[in-house]
Amino acid sequence: KPGGARGGSNVIIEPHKHAGIFIAKGKEQLLVTKNLVPGESVYGEKRISVDGPEGTKTEYRVWNPFRSKLAAGVLGGIEDIFIAPGKKVLYLGAASGTSVSHVADIVGPEGTVYAVEFSPRSGRDLINMAKKRTNVIPIVEDARFPHKYRMLLASVDVIFADVAQPDQARIVAHNAHSFLKVGGHVVISIKANCIDSTAPAEVVFSREVQALRAEKFKPLEQITLEPYERDHAMVTAQYVRY
Amino acid sequence: MATHILFESASGYAVFEVKLKEEVAAMSKAVQQSIQDLAKFGKMVSLVSFSPFKSAAHALENANDVSEGTVNEDLKSLLELNLSKPSKGSRIVLGVSETILANSIKSTLGISCDTSDSTAELIRGIRFHASKLLKGLQADDLTKAQLGLGHSYSRAKLKFNVNRIDNMII
Repeated sequence: KPGGARGGSNVIIEPHKHAGIFIAKGKEQLLVTKNLVPGESVYGEKRISVDGPEGTKTEYRVWNPFRSKLAAGVLGGIEDIFIAPGKKVLYLGAASGTSVSHVADIVGPEGTVYAVEFSPRSGRDLINMAKKRTNVIPIVEDARFPHKYRMLLASVDVIFADVAQPDQARIVAHNAHSFLKVGGHVVISIKANCIDSTAPAEVVFSREVQALRAEKFKPLEQITLEPYERDHAMVTAQYVRY
Repeated sequence: MATHILFESASGYAVFEVKLKEEVAAMSKAVQQSIQDLAKFGKMVSLVSFSPFKSAAHALENANDVSEGTVNEDLKSLLELNLSKPSKGSRIVLGVSETILANSIKSTLGISCDTSDSTAELIRGIRFHASKLLKGLQADDLTKAQLGLGHSYSRAKLKFNVNRIDNMII
């Protein structure tokens, strides 16, 4: 039931170890984010409204790990996603903005998400989502050419990339050189098939990590996205620069 | 080594003067740390002129030109006003983000341009401190301008996309 605001007093919300993310404990445990625009779903996801003290209500949106790589990474136990309330995030490969909407929930009104997507069809949905969420700046442009959208960007704390392109590491590095703060972080979702479909996934992942090292990143962590995605890894790294 | 830097923001164009005279070893720890320190970075560059866009339509027109690497009339007049006086006898070299715009500036205005790593490093620093360096801007003015321009720029991209693939005939 889209928008079925079940919950009430039967659901307990607990903060996840990553700031800005919560766990809804009812019949089952669900990953949720606090809805920045209460009363609205973005892509038909379920909402859970929870009674607070003195008749207040807080609404959360269910975050599906089968639809969002970042949610899969969080449930897969990644140590740190670096995306937190108040942060500025450059999101490469924003697609229709479903996952971006949860990132917008996490960074909250004090944070900003610069969401880059090249496909016009997805871009349209992205713009419509961003109309309601004013901390999302939609950028319909090719992430390969960061100079094209340099006027729209501030310095960012984190780059999240899910571009599924063979030269992903290069694309991320290119954006980092222009926009990522020194000491900032990147979180990259790597789909082995998209980079090299002939080599084993593990080999592809380690090659990508090596490529990041060459671009002045210090790799921090690597996890697989099983059981939510096959042959996917999520890698985090810090932008050291010197 | 650039003597001036052009910085294009969502709120307007800015021209900075580079006060460092020697080439910076950009990747050294010391340089990176002083770029992050506003007090120290303020000694490396100083704002010469900031020309805000007059309206949203005006900002969009300029954003499209910057993206394509063409010199807009506004940029032309700003650069003419601030950089076309070789009175001190020193040569002016303008640091620009990328080569296509740099070439256009060179051919339309005759100003030498520089797109080296040290220029890129200074532009990174200006972006990092932008809301404090661009005088007359409040902290969240820049974000608001980015939001408005992001929407209009992206909408325009959809409208004028010649390779549009989603004209489905059912």
